Amino acid sequence: MRDESLKAPASSAVWRPPNRPAARGQPEFAAPPARPATATPVSAGIFVGEYFVAFGVFVATSLLNLWLQQWLGYQALALVYLLAVVVLALVVRRGPILFGTALTAAGWSYLFAPPRFSFHIASSYDRMMFVMYFVVALTVGQLTARLRAQRKTELKAKLLAESERLGRTLLNSVSHELRTPIAVITTAADSLGEAGPLTPAQQRLASEIEAASARLNRVVQSLLSAARLQSGQLQPKLDWCDVAELVQVSLRSVASLTASHPIRVSVASQLPLVRLDFVLMEQALANLLVNAATHTPPGTAVELAARQEGRSLVLEVSDRGPGLPPEEVERIFDLFHRTPTAKPGGTGLGLNIVKGFVEAQGGRVRAANRVGGGAVFLITLPVDAAPTLTEESA
Amino acid sequence: MSTAPPPPPLTALVIDDEPQIRRLLTVALEANGYLIETAAAGQDGLVRAAQQRHDIILLDLGLPDLGGLEVLQRLREWTQTPVVILTVQDAEADKIAALDCGADDYVTKPFKTGELLARMRAALRRAHRGDAPEPVIQLGKGVVMNLSTRRVTRDGQPVKLTATEYALLRFFVQHAGKVLTHRQLLREVWGPEHEMESQYLRVYLARLREKLEPGDTTDSLFQTEPGVGYRLVEN
Repeated sequence: MRDESLKAPASSAVWRPPNRPAARGQPEFAAPPARPATATPVSAGIFVGEYFVAFGVFVATSLLNLWLQQWLGYQALALVYLLAVVVLALVVRRGPILFGTALTAAGWSYLFAPPRFSFHIASSYDRMMFVMYFVVALTVGQLTARLRAQRKTELKAKLLAESERLGRTLLNSVSHELRTPIAVITTAADSLGEAGPLTPAQQRLASEIEAASARLNRVVQSLLSAARLQSGQLQPKLDWCDVAELVQVSLRSVASLTASHPIRVSVASQLPLVRLDFVLMEQALANLLVNAATHTPPGTAVELAARQEGRSLVLEVSDRGPGLPPEEVERIFDLFHRTPTAKPGGTGLGLNIVKGFVEAQGGRVRAANRVGGGAVFLITLPVDAAPTLTEESA
Repeated sequence: MSTAPPPPPLTALVIDDEPQIRRLLTVALEANGYLIETAAAGQDGLVRAAQQRHDIILLDLGLPDLGGLEVLQRLREWTQTPVVILTVQDAEADKIAALDCGADDYVTKPFKTGELLARMRAALRRAHRGDAPEPVIQLGKGVVMNLSTRRVTRDGQPVKLTATEYALLRFFVQHAGKVLTHRQLLREVWGPEHEMESQYLRVYLARLREKLEPGDTTDSLFQTEPGVGYRLVEN
């Protein structure tokens, strides 16, 4: 899903060129290194163990064959070896199966095929038998292993689908159970005045209830958003959007929470339409604005800018507050992470949600300190070529 | 509050499975002059809607037996009684589906009584007025639209609109105060073959805003309902 074009030089005005080391306060935005391909020690142990199992099966079958040879011909003994390989294929992986196949073929040739106790096979008929044995054992073994692997993936997919369904159901019912009481409290507090005029004290209490339930509602909303992100239930609905409109709607949705901070808005004219999920991006912008208003003294200006840089749309929320401690810049988007200097209140969810929502739409977000003091948060989104409109003749 | 003789009380049917929400809406709406009947399940709600004619129906989308959408569809098979949906945040898809099925409006829980009452009043007003507005409409912000002469003016000055811009504005005006989904707008103005091409809507709405309320970034005449659609604010 990640748009590789973000790394293209066209956007290097925004993003640090890949070879420059991360400067202080500039988080590294390259994807985390892929996990090393080597298996973990535990599974490696099991894997080596499987070769011992293959060897054990070979030794046991050879002993059985040495006992059986008084009744069976040496060619029938090859079938006993074949049976052993098939049984082996039911329990071990491909490598050990191949190992077992080679061992049993060699064993048959050395122990039973005339001349005995030599790897030489005398008759051309037996040589053909040897080759055919090898091919058949190998094919049967690999087919069995593949079937097993297939069943395992199917089972895994089934389990995954089941746990996803469970997660969704749980999320829905938790959401319902939390929101219904909040809705009742909010509406009831709001309707208190309907029953008759309230005394000033009652009025104050009613508005305290309203403020508290509004806060609780925001926390629940954040928790549910974070839960949706964590459980992978988030499916962004990308659609062409007008950035100026997005900015206006975001500003309005947080107006009451940012009232103590003047917000300076600058939206570049002639911005192209951008494909994004309006609801998620509005939430991300709103969280950044509330974050800025929460962590700066009242009266401090917050700036919101939208502009195009190369093939990226940049949404920037900046302030002139205390800025971020340098060691925090990298971790500020972590789940439940709170800066040591943060005021009480706040859940440590807001910025994590910003990151999750933005990345779900193929964008990126980073934080930095501003020259001259204050923090800046930058969201960049790839700008695809907008579809052409069939214009009407004016 | 007014001194005029009280009009006959309006009746509302509340279909919601949560007893607390039913009790609360009963108290809040009765205090504002409505007669309330409640139903705890979709099936029951349908029966009650058929037994007695209500002025308006409040319908919760998350019902245990039928599901709010199903109830809405069945209601719309025989009645045009205004339906206001009660829904929760993050349920844009449900809101769109309900509006496309003929719901008149929605409120998102938790809602304030005032907001709910305003939505109900607007839905009732539209139901009585029908979809045929007066020929001359004041849109607010000094914008006047004359449907008979097909002229639009702002502060008395004529505003030149293209045919598509005019068609878009006219559709909004015909449904003033109602949320129109992206699909409804696209289908009506650009035709069913364009109903997924939201880029048209974004571009033309931006142009319409630019022509009717230039430089004005405060509350637009065309209110954005995020993820759902647009609503022309009633003057």
